[in-house]
Amino acid sequence: MPQNTPASEHPIDPFSAELVEGLARVVAVEGNRVWLEPEQTTSCGGCAASGLCGAKGIGTAANRLEMRRFQLVNEAQLVVGERVVIGVDGRALLKASGTAYALPLVIMLIAGAVAQHIAQSDGVTMAAMVTGLALGLLATRGIARWLSTRGQLAPRFLRRADAEESCKIS
Amino acid sequence: MQEYILLMVGAALVNNVILARFLGLCSFMGVTTRIDTAIGMGLATTFVITVSSMGNWGVEQYLLEPYHLGYLRTVTFILIIAGAVQFTEMTVRKVSPPLFQMLGIYLPLITTNCAVLGVALILVEGKMTFIAATLFAFASSLGYSLVMVIFAGLRERLALAEVPRLFAGPPIGFIVASLLALAFLGFSGISTT
Repeated sequence: MPQNTPASEHPIDPFSAELVEGLARVVAVEGNRVWLEPEQTTSCGGCAASGLCGAKGIGTAANRLEMRRFQLVNEAQLVVGERVVIGVDGRALLKASGTAYALPLVIMLIAGAVAQHIAQSDGVTMAAMVTGLALGLLATRGIARWLSTRGQLAPRFLRRADAEESCKIS
Repeated sequence: MQEYILLMVGAALVNNVILARFLGLCSFMGVTTRIDTAIGMGLATTFVITVSSMGNWGVEQYLLEPYHLGYLRTVTFILIIAGAVQFTEMTVRKVSPPLFQMLGIYLPLITTNCAVLGVALILVEGKMTFIAATLFAFASSLGYSLVMVIFAGLRERLALAEVPRLFAGPPIGFIVASLLALAFLGFSGISTT
C-alpha cells in the first residue's frame, strides 16, 4: 500500500462548498479506516470494469489507480467492493493545480527570461530554466505540505454511489 | 521584447491551438463540464506542453537536424512527451502525495492529447531560438487553457438553460464551440508578423 497522508477527519457539509465529485471503490478496510481507489475516468464508460478486469501490469490503468489509493475514516460502515462518491473542494483543486503546475512553470520562465537577457545564449538559458524548474518544484513541496497540514487537499466521503452512476472527470 | 510579446499573442489567440488549429478536441469536449476541472486540466497541459517542448527543441537542434534524422521526428517527440508526462507524474507524487491524489487524474489524459505533439511539430517548422520556442509553447498552452475555461463556463450555463431535446448534450456543445471559434476568428485581424 502506498504511504499516503490520511484524509482530514473534519466533517464537511456537502451543500456549503462547491465540491468536485468523483467515484471511488473501497478496496480494503483497516479498523475504522477504509482504503479507496479512484475509478478510471475515461469517456468510454469502462470505469467500473477497469477495477474488475484483472489487468494489473506496470503502466496499465489498474496499476496507475493503485498508486492513487487514499484513506478515509469509515464513518459510513463501508465494506470492500462498494462504490462511493467522494468530493474535493473546488477551490482546493484550483490551489492544488496552481501549486503543482503554475508555480514551477512561472519560476522556470522567469529564470529563463533573466538568463536570456543577461547571457543571450541558448545553452545558458536552458540550464537556467532547468534550475528554475527544480527550485519551483522545491517551492511546490513546501506549499503543498502547508496546504496538506491544513487539511485542504483531502477528499471527503459524500454518499454511496448508485448502480447507474457512471464515471466522470472530476 | 516586442517580438516575444507578438509571438505569444499570436500563439495564444490568433493561432489558437483548439479553435484555429483544431487540436486537443477530445479534452476540449471531455473535460469542460466544470470550470474547476477545466482549469486543472489546462494547467497540467500547460506544464507538460512547455516542459516537453524544451526537450523536443533540444533533441531537434542537437540530434535530429545535425544527423539528418528527420524521419524519426514524430516517434522521438512522442517518446519525449510520454517521458515528460511520466516525469510530471513521478515528481508530483514524490513532492506531494495529496496533490497527486487530487491531480493525477489529468496526467494520463495528456499523453494522448494531440495538442502537445501538434505544438512540438509547429515549433520545428518555426526554426525558433530556445527562449522563443519555450515562450511559443507556453503561450499556445495558455491559449488552450483559456478556451477550455471559457467553454467550461458556457457549458455550466448551458446546463441550466432550456435546450430543445434534439440539441441537448453534445449537439448544443458543438454549436457553442463553433460560435466560440467564430468569435476567435476575429483575432485573425491582428497582425503579429
